[in-house]
Amino acid sequence: MSEFATLASPYSMPVESHGDVELSDSSTNARSRALNQFLAGVELKAFKIAQAALRHEEDALDAVQDAMLQLARAYADRPAEEWKPLFYRILENRIRDMQRRRTVRGRVIAWLPFRGDDDDDEPDPIALAPSADPSPVRKLELDEAMGALEKALEELPRRQQQVFLLRTLEGLDVAETAIAMGCSEGSVKTHYFRALQALREQLGESYV
Amino acid sequence: MSAQGEQLTDFERRSRLVLEESLLRIDGRVRSRLNQARQAAVEAASAKRRPMFGRFFTLVPTAAAAAAALLVAMVLWHRAPDGEPPVLVADTHLGDLDLVADGEGLDLVQDGDGSGSFYEWAADQSEANGNETDT
Repeated sequence: MSEFATLASPYSMPVESHGDVELSDSSTNARSRALNQFLAGVELKAFKIAQAALRHEEDALDAVQDAMLQLARAYADRPAEEWKPLFYRILENRIRDMQRRRTVRGRVIAWLPFRGDDDDDEPDPIALAPSADPSPVRKLELDEAMGALEKALEELPRRQQQVFLLRTLEGLDVAETAIAMGCSEGSVKTHYFRALQALREQLGESYV
Repeated sequence: MSAQGEQLTDFERRSRLVLEESLLRIDGRVRSRLNQARQAAVEAASAKRRPMFGRFFTLVPTAAAAAAALLVAMVLWHRAPDGEPPVLVADTHLGDLDLVADGEGLDLVQDGDGSGSFYEWAADQSEANGNETDT
């Protein structure tokens, strides 16, 4: 909620001191700044969520890019508080479209006699480059935990994976998650409970 | 209420820590692509708002011209006489008006000495000429 407070601040500027044209310009600029700030805040998490679902970096980037554009074109004028669930709803639809397309493509390719090698799983050396980590031992522990969690997440059903990432990584509450997933709050709670149960079973209570 | 403000279990806290850590490891190429996508989205939102102003400033002169044309049309309509068109009025009545207003014309209709008008004399002359040609 605190980030929404910072998003809302551009709109609280005094309007009396502006002329009509200046007010329009400053309002547009404030809106653009707020949108930029919002997207900057969600882009990495959105990429992570899309990557977990699609397991393909380029597809994940495309999905996030499309979701950003659609939000900007269709919902930029909506209150900033509504952006987050809307954005994740759009992203989820985009991910689902891509998964459907991939399923169809997979069926078509399965009929072909020759298939091309998939070289998209090569690890990116930059991604593996060290960042400002506290210590090599801690880093190693986190690396292992990260690998284990990502592997466990891959094995979760799609809805459980989605609810876990939206709630745990993005920090959406139950109502926002329900909007983002297009389901009831009860379903969100059920999926989340099952996701936690499955992950605990796989990883153990003290996996970090 | 965000999930971040909710009571989390140790497992959830650890999971969040690991996931947040994984965000820090996202490489520069992906970050750059996301940054470009964000700039494009913000630009698209701004471009969507801009034509509103453009349309407004284009519509104002057009509306003013249309209003002026309507005003002129209304003024002309109110000033036009009712009934017969002016051209027809001129054809039927203005000739008589000229005749009445013309003093010389009245002299031709009725002579001052009471011996008959010029027109009666001219009519008699034409009848006489006609009879001669018949014979």
